Amino acid sequence: MIKIAVYGKGGIGKSTTVSNLSAVLAKNGFKVMQIGCDPKADSTSTLRDGKPMNTVLDLVRTKKNDFALEDMVTEGFGGVICVEAGGPTPGLGCAGRGIIAALEKLKEKGAYETYQPDIVFYDVLGDVVCGGFTMPMRDGYADKVFVVTSGENMSIHAAANIAVAVDQFKDRGYAQLGGLILNRRNVKNEEEKVQELAEDIESKIVGSLSRSEYVQDADAMHKTVIEAFPESDMAKEYTLLAQSILAECGREVSLC
Amino acid sequence: MKQTASIISTYASDVSGVCSALYELGGMTVMHDPSGCNSTYNTHDEPRWYDFDSLIFISALSEMEAIMGDDDRLIEEVVETALQLKPKFIAIAGSPVPMVIGTDFKAIARVIEKKSGIPCFGFTTNGMHSYLSGAGMAFEAFAQRMVDPADKAEGKHRVNILGATPLDFSVNGSVDSIKIWLEQNGFEVNSCWAMGSELEDLVHSGRADVNLVVSQSGLKAAKVLNKQFGTPFVMGVPVGLDCSKLLAERLIQAEQSGQCSTSFTRNVVNGEEDIVLIAESIYGCSLASAIEQKTGKNVRVICPLEGEKDILMPHDVFATDEVELMPVLEKAKIIIADPLYQPICPKDAKFIPLAHEAFSGRIYRSEIPNMIGEGFNHWFAEHIGG
Repeated sequence: MIKIAVYGKGGIGKSTTVSNLSAVLAKNGFKVMQIGCDPKADSTSTLRDGKPMNTVLDLVRTKKNDFALEDMVTEGFGGVICVEAGGPTPGLGCAGRGIIAALEKLKEKGAYETYQPDIVFYDVLGDVVCGGFTMPMRDGYADKVFVVTSGENMSIHAAANIAVAVDQFKDRGYAQLGGLILNRRNVKNEEEKVQELAEDIESKIVGSLSRSEYVQDADAMHKTVIEAFPESDMAKEYTLLAQSILAECGREVSLC
Repeated sequence: MKQTASIISTYASDVSGVCSALYELGGMTVMHDPSGCNSTYNTHDEPRWYDFDSLIFISALSEMEAIMGDDDRLIEEVVETALQLKPKFIAIAGSPVPMVIGTDFKAIARVIEKKSGIPCFGFTTNGMHSYLSGAGMAFEAFAQRMVDPADKAEGKHRVNILGATPLDFSVNGSVDSIKIWLEQNGFEVNSCWAMGSELEDLVHSGRADVNLVVSQSGLKAAKVLNKQFGTPFVMGVPVGLDCSKLLAERLIQAEQSGQCSTSFTRNVVNGEEDIVLIAESIYGCSLASAIEQKTGKNVRVICPLEGEKDILMPHDVFATDEVELMPVLEKAKIIIADPLYQPICPKDAKFIPLAHEAFSGRIYRSEIPNMIGEGFNHWFAEHIGG
């Protein structure tokens, strides 16, 4: 089982990227589980046609422990097992603690043993702002962390912070940095800036994605690019990225 | 109100359970909690505190450390202290504040172990569960990590006693009586988890032919040892002569067959029960069996703690707070329970006090009976009679 956590600045395109990666891998016969670690609970939205689903924390809040593992998951495109951690009402509670509680509940209900996914994606909200947001990279969860960034300064700054956090936690047995995913915003010298970041944090760019209208169009259809425009160049970019990420995780495969 | 104790006491927490389980093993246990909270354990939950030295510390977690998620001071101080005192192992146990901020005890233990070179355990206790949960996770971790995998059973009728802490058995000689009873029945006590045994005894637990689980806190370790060495276990406490005899037989059967079992012989109750007993599940089922066998009366066990549903009878119940307990007690004619339960018992019921250290601490310690073997008969004659 390959477990991957994806971090990056809010709004940088983590969920879109992860959902397309899940779709590519599912299409290629892998059993994929995508866990959205964001109170907004919209990580897996395009894998399930934008339809509503229960979040783990809503179930815990309303039913205590009186619910089954199946209540927490929804099967999405290509059989992707979709999970949304959920979280407190905006402005209240503790979102970080919510992620811990949700991931612990998922483990307690035997999600990994029952579904035995080949690949698990943790799509994590924004920056590593508190202990709760390190949960997906803790021992027993993700093995590798990938950071989505563009060439915008704020995005690079967030990516650098995440890389520092990953490095600081190496003695704790946490996940290792797998690399950067360049999600282009077509800013000036974008590739050079992200390459410089990669060198600074002793990592590398594992793949890059173009700014494409296909992404917005697919999103408007509540679908991934892989599902909505499977023959597009953008779909090919996601396929190459998935291949590259698997290779970083020690699995050399040729995807289509 | 649910999850509220406005009249009765509450059980010792999981943090106390960890400390109690590891108290005699030569380690160093650190509760990660604001200062002051250590006396909750030391003076209320630990009867050995004044007579038996053990390295128990409190981290004195500060507000700013919690806000800033600063684990470094804890790590540095634990490492420094451990290097001076050279404990055989280190255990860090969490409390409510670290739980809220999501402290990663497993990771902290890993760093401490790397820096100190001493085996370190991180327990995600949070003060929200009972001592059985904490002691259970401590014993389980010990079974996974510290037991020598090279050992094997040698057919010498060796037994490990699993789940013995003063929180369930006080310091009234009960655990010694269990050991004597085992020896009288031809067994050799290989180790006792964890009263009256050295760490080294526990390390060689794989030499035992069968494990005796005397409380819920020993069950997880029993399952680990069963998986690792194939050692079968029997759940039960040798309460009363007849039931003790059966327990000894079940231990021999388990040793021969390799199958795990219990030693409870309970009545199947269709109507109302005669006696209600509030107790930890394994001790409660053992005592209920002894009472039923001696009187022919029906006993309903109320388990107010974590326990195995499978060992209870259909008429027994798990009830953890006053709201759940009071309706169950409403029609009871005879109630056996810790004295601190009496205020929620019906006034016309006969109340037989049976103090439980984990519930009332030191208040009734001198009145806690040793129920092992014949001890039960004395208690029975005094409180229930014919």
